[in-house]
Amino acid sequence: MRTAMTLFAALAACLVLAQRPAPAPPQARSVLIRDAQVHTGDGRLIAGGFVGFRNGVIDHVGPTAPAARYDTVIDAAGGHLYPGFILPDATLGLAEIDQVQATIDEDEAGDITPEVRASAAYNVDSRIIPTVRRNGVLIAQVVPRGGMVSGRSSVVQLDAWDRRDALIARDNGVHLNWPGAFARHGWWAEPGPVVREKAEERQRRLRDLETLFTEAAARARRPEAAPADVRVQALAGLFTGAATLFVQAEQAQDIQEAVLFADRMGVKRTVLVGGYDAWRVADLLRDKRVAVVLRRLHSLPLRNDDDVDLPFRLPALLHERGVPFCLSYTGDMERMGARNLPFVAGTARAHGLPPEEAVRCATLAAAQVLGIDARYGSLAVGKSATLFLSSGDALDMRTNAVRHAFIDGRAIALDNVQEELHEMYRSRIARP
Amino acid sequence: MRSLLVLASGLLGAVAAHRPALAQVTAPVNGPHDRNVPVHAFVHATVHPSPGRTLYDATVVVSGDRITAVGQGVSVPKDAVVHDLHGAHVWPGLVEPYGDLGMPKETPAPARAPAGAHHWNPAVRATQRAATRYAPDAEQAARLRAQGVTAVWVHQADGIVRGTGAVVLPAGRSPQLDVLVADASAHFSFQKGSSTDPYPSSLTGAIALFRQTLLDARWYAEGGAADLRDAELEALAAQQRLPWVFEARDRDDVLRIAALGREHGFRAIVRGGGDEYARWPEVAAAGLDLILPVVQPDAPDVRDPHDALEVPIARLKHWELAPHGPRILHEAGLRFAFTRQGLKDPDDWWPALRRLVRCGLDSSIAIAACTTVPAAYLGLQDRLGVLATGALANLLITTDHLLAEDNSVQETWVAGERFVHTDRGLADVRGTYDLNLDGRTLRLEVSGGRWRDRKAVLQGASGDTVKYAVDLTHTGERIGLRFDAKAIGRAGDVRLNGTVHADGAIWDGQGVLPGGTWAPWSAVRRTDAGPVKEPVARRSALDSLLAGAPGTVWAPFSAFGDTLVPDSATILFKGATVWTNTSQGVLRHADVLVHQGRVAAVGTALDPFTVLTARTPPVVREVDAKGLHLTPGIVDEHSHIALRRGVNEGGQAISAEVRMTDVIDPDDVDIYRQLAGGVTAAQLLHGSANPIGGQSAVVKLRWGLPADAYPVQGAKGFIKFALGENVKQSTSPYGSRYPRTRMGVEQLMLDAFLRARDHRALHDAHAAATAGTRARRRRTAPPPAPRRDLELEALGEILRGERFISCHSYVQSEIEMLMDLADSLGFTVNTFTHILEGYKMAARMREHGVAASTFSDWWAYKWEVYEAIPYNAALLWQAGVLTGINSDDAEMGRRLNQEAAKAVKYGGVPEEEALKMVTLNPARMLRLDHRMGTVEPGKDADLVLWSAHPLSIDARAEMTLVDGRPLFERARDERLRAALRAERERLTGKVLAAQRLGARTESPAPRKDGHWHCETIGEEP
Repeated sequence: MRTAMTLFAALAACLVLAQRPAPAPPQARSVLIRDAQVHTGDGRLIAGGFVGFRNGVIDHVGPTAPAARYDTVIDAAGGHLYPGFILPDATLGLAEIDQVQATIDEDEAGDITPEVRASAAYNVDSRIIPTVRRNGVLIAQVVPRGGMVSGRSSVVQLDAWDRRDALIARDNGVHLNWPGAFARHGWWAEPGPVVREKAEERQRRLRDLETLFTEAAARARRPEAAPADVRVQALAGLFTGAATLFVQAEQAQDIQEAVLFADRMGVKRTVLVGGYDAWRVADLLRDKRVAVVLRRLHSLPLRNDDDVDLPFRLPALLHERGVPFCLSYTGDMERMGARNLPFVAGTARAHGLPPEEAVRCATLAAAQVLGIDARYGSLAVGKSATLFLSSGDALDMRTNAVRHAFIDGRAIALDNVQEELHEMYRSRIARP
Repeated sequence: MRSLLVLASGLLGAVAAHRPALAQVTAPVNGPHDRNVPVHAFVHATVHPSPGRTLYDATVVVSGDRITAVGQGVSVPKDAVVHDLHGAHVWPGLVEPYGDLGMPKETPAPARAPAGAHHWNPAVRATQRAATRYAPDAEQAARLRAQGVTAVWVHQADGIVRGTGAVVLPAGRSPQLDVLVADASAHFSFQKGSSTDPYPSSLTGAIALFRQTLLDARWYAEGGAADLRDAELEALAAQQRLPWVFEARDRDDVLRIAALGREHGFRAIVRGGGDEYARWPEVAAAGLDLILPVVQPDAPDVRDPHDALEVPIARLKHWELAPHGPRILHEAGLRFAFTRQGLKDPDDWWPALRRLVRCGLDSSIAIAACTTVPAAYLGLQDRLGVLATGALANLLITTDHLLAEDNSVQETWVAGERFVHTDRGLADVRGTYDLNLDGRTLRLEVSGGRWRDRKAVLQGASGDTVKYAVDLTHTGERIGLRFDAKAIGRAGDVRLNGTVHADGAIWDGQGVLPGGTWAPWSAVRRTDAGPVKEPVARRSALDSLLAGAPGTVWAPFSAFGDTLVPDSATILFKGATVWTNTSQGVLRHADVLVHQGRVAAVGTALDPFTVLTARTPPVVREVDAKGLHLTPGIVDEHSHIALRRGVNEGGQAISAEVRMTDVIDPDDVDIYRQLAGGVTAAQLLHGSANPIGGQSAVVKLRWGLPADAYPVQGAKGFIKFALGENVKQSTSPYGSRYPRTRMGVEQLMLDAFLRARDHRALHDAHAAATAGTRARRRRTAPPPAPRRDLELEALGEILRGERFISCHSYVQSEIEMLMDLADSLGFTVNTFTHILEGYKMAARMREHGVAASTFSDWWAYKWEVYEAIPYNAALLWQAGVLTGINSDDAEMGRRLNQEAAKAVKYGGVPEEEALKMVTLNPARMLRLDHRMGTVEPGKDADLVLWSAHPLSIDARAEMTLVDGRPLFERARDERLRAALRAERERLTGKVLAAQRLGARTESPAPRKDGHWHCETIGEEP
């Protein structure tokens, strides 16, 4: 532990009072972490385990020390080691301050805008990002919002100089908000009633959607043709398998409609986002091989009569029914709150999900959903060394304390503007 | 000649209208006056003079517009027109207590600032008089008369103070003659109606405006308003002696009105929402007279099981219980009248009324609710709603009992004026007849209702199996038949005309056959009509289904409601890890005894019977708490749950007069959800739209009890203030409301406090002067009292240290500003809530003595929180500021223990201190730490038993006690879930059965609003 401390103290010193920590350089020295509770992300726990990595790639995972030599050895002293947590369905870097319009780049004008790409606006310098990674969230899917078809998403790592540096997967998701049969109104202090959407309006929107998808599917069969309409072109990947359709729906009937629509249109891969009622239609989801990006668990039941703890139990319900899923932090204050993603996993565990499954649904399961599991999501030889060490259980706010974090083997800074303000004002305050 | 007759009868109609014994009219008459005062005698009738009384073979005598005699063996005046009503019934005319007959549908163009010396707020319309707005509406009057309505209590349903109502007779004549009583009543509501003034924008604001207006009217009447003329206040003062009628949207409004009545010394008649039964014990205790809608909700369509999920249990239960509501209220001892208001189809009136009777309401009570009760509300019990000497000649003639399925209202008499709906003289012509015509005998069948919907068919000559429809008319003794001549083997039409004899058994006359030849005909009855087949039979099956025993009324009337609210119990927690929040710290393996709502003892191996010295030892429930953690209940300093129809009164920048205690919603399921998260008490705050917001409700989450049981007895007064982006309306930067900057916020507050100081001084001076006067034995009259301004009173309480500010705040400039302002005015800001830059001003805050109630880790949702840090709570605590963590969010409110844990994570606050941030510290902020926040003898038993370390993500509340009542408990929760599922299942089955029997259904998600009860009026969300 001491070696590491020295290493990071040096690193930290040069970052003091830099409001935005500098991205870390590529891994130069090999690292071995010893005596860790290794949560591999694929459902296993290795007590007192060893994980080694060099040149950004993991070359050892196991209960015993490797034969090879490492430049730096970090003694975890029983701390917990996890794959970097992955945040799907996020708007990190697309907006900074909710109520300052000038800082917001997440919702393009129009109801059907598949052409827009989050990768065009992703701000690597958002001050929110370093605070999110502070708790172990190292990868995110950046997603446009609004309208029926919001646009295309990319997957980024959260320590980058520029977009190219950040991108793990580019434009590989198309995001569709399924027009619900019911809409809810009101605001948080007084939730409104459930209202049936105007049927004709809804039908019109769905016809527009179907027209676009049908044309895009047809067009995708002739890729050699001259460049198509930007919207049609933007959907091509859905029919070749290059992109995944992420469709947002909560209620059972909407989920059924949305999944069957994607299937009928010939979409190769569909992921359900939200999925409050997903457990009610688990057979359909399993049958159509649709995984779920589950809505934020820290939310109220959608219906007055639902069990008080139903949102917390959704992961256990899906797990019992064999539907693959991962967790999200979508909703109010989703960017600044995203650092609570580990505690959402903790909530899943506290409400019936087996402990290592709770880790998996914030790591490997998310990587699978996002199509980046070949390199990310679990601690396995040959995979990217994107991981973090917490001195305590990272899924519990009481004990989450991230000491080291690595992205592709790079030891990233854990400092941020908030730590800095903390230091600054701590010196002003003397406890009487 | 004909046109002259029509003209003459029209004029006669106008004049004869209301025939008092000595007609006195102001309008000139064209030609001779009608000076006749006709006398009518209704003889041999079954007379129902008042509810529950029946006189057989009785007589009613009417002279002009009055009843002069009612009874058996009454002598019939010689000059009377005699109506032989053998077999018919006579009833008092019905009184519609909440009508709009003749009221203009469009109110005059609402003005922000009305012309003339009116009240500043156009929702206060005390000068509005129904009598002067009434415009006869012949069509609506005829519809009402056809249902037996002979008097309508109307008012202009617009505004919070609505002016006076009138009683009008639905005779459709001149307004002067129709209006029976001009200023019959004063009307009120909580809906501002057509007013475009931004104030009030919420229920709490509407109540505040009502309250202030009452005080102003009194002040005005007592002569305090030397420099001010206000027609509305003047009018309202004059309305003190009238019956007050208040419009409620639902049961909670009824209780609100009752509370206002207790506060201001009035007893209102309340137009309810139809769901009062769901809080019948409280409504009964309030003892108000009610006007209830007879409208019953349509069933939600539950055929699609997924759609059905959207239907809350409250809606299902209301559908089932609403037809039983009046019975329940009657059994609880309440008096009520029935109104047609809200019926989608006016023809639903009788079926709805009959359904209430099928559901167990005594029919005489139902009839009283349409006659004597509304008459009594008006003080017109001698003139309306009864058949008695001296009463107005308002009566109905019916074929059957008023509430019988096939009853028909045949005549309605309004103030001695006769309106005929069905010719009573008709013989019953239903049955099977032999029709003799043109040498043939045909079979004629007449079926259907006796008075209407008759159907006649003719079977052709022998060998012809075709049935021919017959167009039959029957007026008085004349009868006519028209049918296709094929029935007699010819081409063309047959038209017959004749007369009815022998009580309908024989008809005969002359007719025209094809070719124009005249021929005699006759019809002789062979068999009487069989049993009448009407859709009635189906409806009856539905009614019997609905009349079946309904489910129980739950408290609250919502999911997780129960038939009984758990009582405060004697409970011994054994072997718990007890977080005492006292100098004792965390006790391992400790016992805690709860008795009579308090913590009785904390220790090890407690013997409850040594501790409790009661004469009769209580039943002690032992809870094995080994491995579990017991903590004080969570106190949420900043919550907006359980509030109804607006948490912001955004109509004015200063709204210190509004009270959140007025708008508590005890049925909000978030209350139960928060109990499940260990919350036992909360400050329900006004929103942050205004620099000076409204008065808080400091409550305990007493799930199941009514709204007035929520406020903590003896709690100090609190008020919401707000600073920064919300109050300067940053999202609409070009608005004209002052303040638009933080600079303006400071001056607005300073000005308000200076005014409050003046207000106080004025009242103090008056008090001193009157005390002096009294001392001098009233030799000089005391000066009139100054105006009580509820807004300034609340601010004055702050200045005197009797009310405490909880101020929404973020950045250091505004935090410092308010502390400076408070210092300059000599008071202390009690709490800065949110206070995300508190860490920058920590030392100054400690010096001022203000507490901080903050979020654990929120930031970046607006510009003013860009420098918010999760270390805020820790830094404030380190600086010695009393620090708490609040929710401001219904979801996070149920995980406040986890939010407290973040103070450990961010800044290393010791765990016990972190727990205090959501228990003891907010209790201290609310000045309730003598009652809650610690586990020690004598404190309220507001406790949470956790499954694990209370700050860990694994901790779940196993049991939450409020005043020793286990309001959340895992086993009980399981039971309530099961009961909820079973009740949903049962009701779904019942709805489906009703639907099969033809019950009307509506979308499972109604478009109108969130309230599932019968109707919605008003503008609030």
